[in-house]
Amino acid sequence: MNERIRLLFAEAVDIKLEVLHNSEMTIEIAYIAPLCEENKINDFIIVPFTKDFYPFESQLKTNPDYRKVDDVAKWQDLMLRGNVLIEADGIIYSFEASRIISIENPQTQVESAIQGPQLALSEDLNISLNLIRSMYPSADLSVEEHTIGSLSKTPVLALYDQRRVDPTVLDSVRTKLMTINVEMLHAAGELEKLLVGKRKHLFPTILITERPDRITKALSKGKIIILLKGNMFAIILPATFFDFMHAMEDDYDAYWMTRFLIFLRYTSIVLTITLPALYISVVSYNPELFRVQLAFSIAGSRSAVPYPSFIEVFIMLFMIETLIEASIRLPRYIGSTATTVGGLILGQAAQQAGLVSSIMIIVTSVVAISNFVIPVNSLSFAIRFLKYPLIGISIFFGISGVAVGLFVYIAYLCNLRSFGKPYMRIFGKLRPLEGDVGQVKIK
Amino acid sequence: MRLYIRIFLALFAVCLLGGCGFKDIDKRFFVVALGIDQSDNEKKPYRLTLQLAVPSPKIEPGASKTQIESIDSQSIAEGVRMLKAYVDKELDFGHCKVFLIGEKLARTDYQNLLQWMSRRRDIQSVADIAIGKPDAESLLQVQPLSERYPGNTLFLSFGADGTESSYTYVESVSDFSRRASEKGLDPLMPVIYKDNKESFIINRTALLNKKRVKLVLSSTESQLFNQLANDFTKSSMHGMFEGMDLVVAITAIHSNFRIGKQNGEDTITMNIKMRVVFEEAPKGLYDEQWRPIEISLNQEYAKSCIALLKKIQKANVDPIGFGLRYRANHPGKDVWKEWKSIYPNIAFKVNADIRIEGTGLIK
Amino acid sequence: MNRYVFYNFMLVSFINLMLYVPHILIQYRYTGAVSSIVIGILIGTILVYLYTSAMARFPGKGLPEILKLYSPKWLVSIMMFFLAIMWWFATTVVVVAYAVLINRFFNPDANTIVILIMLVLACGYAATRSTLSVMFVVEIGLIINAPIILFVLFKAVRSTQLSWDAIRIVANYVTAMPTLSCIAAASFIFTGYINLSLFNRLLPPNFRFKFRFVYPLFGAMILLITFFVPIGFHGTEGVAQYIYVWSLTADSLLMQYGFIERVLFLFLLVYLNLTLVYTMSGWHQAMEFVKSCIPSYKPEIDSPKTPLSNYVIVGIFALLSVLYLVMTNEKINMMITSYWLIVRLFVEIFIVIWVFVLSRKGAKAA
Repeated sequence: MNERIRLLFAEAVDIKLEVLHNSEMTIEIAYIAPLCEENKINDFIIVPFTKDFYPFESQLKTNPDYRKVDDVAKWQDLMLRGNVLIEADGIIYSFEASRIISIENPQTQVESAIQGPQLALSEDLNISLNLIRSMYPSADLSVEEHTIGSLSKTPVLALYDQRRVDPTVLDSVRTKLMTINVEMLHAAGELEKLLVGKRKHLFPTILITERPDRITKALSKGKIIILLKGNMFAIILPATFFDFMHAMEDDYDAYWMTRFLIFLRYTSIVLTITLPALYISVVSYNPELFRVQLAFSIAGSRSAVPYPSFIEVFIMLFMIETLIEASIRLPRYIGSTATTVGGLILGQAAQQAGLVSSIMIIVTSVVAISNFVIPVNSLSFAIRFLKYPLIGISIFFGISGVAVGLFVYIAYLCNLRSFGKPYMRIFGKLRPLEGDVGQVKIK
Repeated sequence: MRLYIRIFLALFAVCLLGGCGFKDIDKRFFVVALGIDQSDNEKKPYRLTLQLAVPSPKIEPGASKTQIESIDSQSIAEGVRMLKAYVDKELDFGHCKVFLIGEKLARTDYQNLLQWMSRRRDIQSVADIAIGKPDAESLLQVQPLSERYPGNTLFLSFGADGTESSYTYVESVSDFSRRASEKGLDPLMPVIYKDNKESFIINRTALLNKKRVKLVLSSTESQLFNQLANDFTKSSMHGMFEGMDLVVAITAIHSNFRIGKQNGEDTITMNIKMRVVFEEAPKGLYDEQWRPIEISLNQEYAKSCIALLKKIQKANVDPIGFGLRYRANHPGKDVWKEWKSIYPNIAFKVNADIRIEGTGLIK
Repeated sequence: MNRYVFYNFMLVSFINLMLYVPHILIQYRYTGAVSSIVIGILIGTILVYLYTSAMARFPGKGLPEILKLYSPKWLVSIMMFFLAIMWWFATTVVVVAYAVLINRFFNPDANTIVILIMLVLACGYAATRSTLSVMFVVEIGLIINAPIILFVLFKAVRSTQLSWDAIRIVANYVTAMPTLSCIAAASFIFTGYINLSLFNRLLPPNFRFKFRFVYPLFGAMILLITFFVPIGFHGTEGVAQYIYVWSLTADSLLMQYGFIERVLFLFLLVYLNLTLVYTMSGWHQAMEFVKSCIPSYKPEIDSPKTPLSNYVIVGIFALLSVLYLVMTNEKINMMITSYWLIVRLFVEIFIVIWVFVLSRKGAKAA
């Protein structure tokens, strides 16, 4: 066997090919050392074989951990996944001894909640499944395995509640998973792009999460979860716009407070999208829109600014966007310094230098802060972009342009579908029990 | 290649769009008040005075700066156009909240002015309109000491978020233009004049017919009129009781009127219900009987009301809308002619019903 | 799912301000507007009841499919083409009027045609979406804007400036004989039900029309406010001089403590949204009607891909709208609209009776 294996692989020092002898028999074992747990190999193969209290051959036959491999073509694959191949008496067995390096019981970091589970999904599929299964102990939970990536061979699990899932969505997800054709797949975001299929999309139509409570909630609503090996994040689909605006704490905290928070979130979405554009249209087209006192104080603070309003807006937005971008990538300790330097000093200095008006500083910070209010990161990123087209249209049409732009956004959102389900729909249930609009299929 | 075409198309569209009225706020001159007078020049009968706001980054009492521009012209619209040549920034009427009409112009003919105001899209219907005495120009020159924003004093004098004086009748452009055309409802306006250099007095009301000023009410009459027509509560009333001076503050007032025949005579009956609290009264009033005081207050109030109504009737104007009510109650084609013959001779009857609520904090 | 029917009704009843309905009625305020309003309410109510009960018999079917069941194809095609023109016209008038309004109140220096092109592009994009998406946009548009409109209306009715005497004077003229153009204008408020011609496709098979009494009540309320509030504000005489009666009425209101002080701007923005939503809905319906003339046409309510024909048809609509603006002015637009309202009334009565008869026939045959 070892000769053939040597041919199958490229020259690599970490492939271990050994021949072992004891008093009765000779076996050959082959494994890729870094992928395997040495302890496990010692405990299950080398020690029992050399000590030979119990005939190793019958051990191979009885213990289901040693699986018989008939197909030579599978050897490569098995070894690459951390199995040990054992040849005894011309029969090949495989033994799973893979060592997975992952963070032990990671805490939620991206979507943290004060109350609610603090554990996030693990990079190990088994631990993730353990978490989900224990939080969703239902016999209806169905788990399907797929493999994606011609090179990376990433195992992918699709989970759903077989009674509640929408069969049409399930079908389309299955066919999508089967037909994906890539070499490498490592991140949930990558899989998301492949599943959606559209090259240029503005909004995320698939929810990526690390929270097991969000996952089990989604399962109970008949959604499909996709887990990815080596990734702490799961994919939930189909997702609607409102799922992205939903923080898990909304289900845990007091009713009125959470309603207020939800209201706050939608208000801040509107603010972060429209405020720069409104600033331009009020300053340059319709100063009569707001109170006279406000108009005068804007006019006063702008009197030193030499540029038209939109250049002012671009300067400030450029500054704030670079700040945000910089502080995301920087290590945590330096990150806060960067924000302080940028936010406080640059803003103040820019205003004193007469580059921007003081109202514009307020506008910029409101835009930035209200953007962070959105609970799910991927939507927050999408929203961050939305203000720019509106700024463009407001330069030419003022306030009416902004209103028209918002209308186009709403039309676009309503037109989006997440796996056949409407993305933006008020008061619509995902699986309506009674009759719903658009159910009749016309032949 | 397609990219180039796209960029070209985008640029082309942008070029098409250019010059859509993009004008920054600091390149605009906000007109905060417009005064219109009659000039002595016969060929250019209108004298326009614009109070322009000069915005400053500092906002504190007394920091407001204004610029005054005036011009004589043949018509109002032309005058405004010509004034643009006098200033370096675009004139913007979007925040013009006060229109002052010079007394002389108001005494001749205001219809032209009103037409111009109704036609302009940027003139707010909610703007206030008033008569300036002796003329609008000199009033706009006044620079009040405490003013934070340019023109703020005038805005606040009229609006309800500043002072609410019982002597000031607030008239908006939209209401004025309604009254100027309605059959059975005549316009009226507050009269502003200045006492010295730094403040305004607005305590008189001018009654107009469809063309010009007919009557100017004194300040006491203005207050009384406000109570009758507007149910204005933050006001006071003066009365006598057995030789004692009484001043009461009105906490609630409600008035209505009926037109009908009484003893074969056309009569307008006004019912006025009031709740009052003493503000100035001799000590010990608390222990007296209130009913006789009420009765004597009633009589006195009714008397002064009738005097005011008669005065208005004599000037042949109808600011309260008696004619409108008559038209509403008497359907038919010739009702308007009928009313015109009735009104000069109609009798008035006022039933005042004053209830004393208390004597204030002391007995 | 009754709310989807009601959205259509509400949308059209709000949009009447843009179709010069108050202007037409106020012109005739002494000569028959009040009695026409009463008759308009009656006609509207009857049509609503007839059409909804007829449509309830054809669940999931639009007007073209219903007509094709019983009539020859060429007749249906002609009819549909005609209806498409009617629908296109109704919306184009509104969007063109609004472009002019933006030019008057928001961007006085901008070119009306450029503004119209912007509006038309936005509406065109939205109209080419699938029927289901269009319905969702209508829903969101109304949920956002209707409360604001109701607030403005409420504020207007409660305002101290409103003169009830003036309203009573005009109401006294109820005895004047009604006129055709006034009836047509008044009954327009109720015409939202006709949108069922297309949106009936969306309704599920077990659908039943509920709360039908709300339609006449709501319509009558809007109609009375539309007509009487401007009179109360501008007086019996002054009201006739304004072209944009309701914009001026909104301008007479002041929100003392509001963020936006002048109600006018709130009102204009809200009506801009409504205009866009209405135009989108109208063009979408017209587009579907045109498509139903094509022999190989299959109705589709939520196609994943937008067919090319959508873009072509709506593109033509958009071009025609721009042409319409170039060829007309405010005065001609208003005149054409008042004639269109009359034609619309008769066409609608015709359609409603036709479908109603078909529904009874179908019931007997079954």
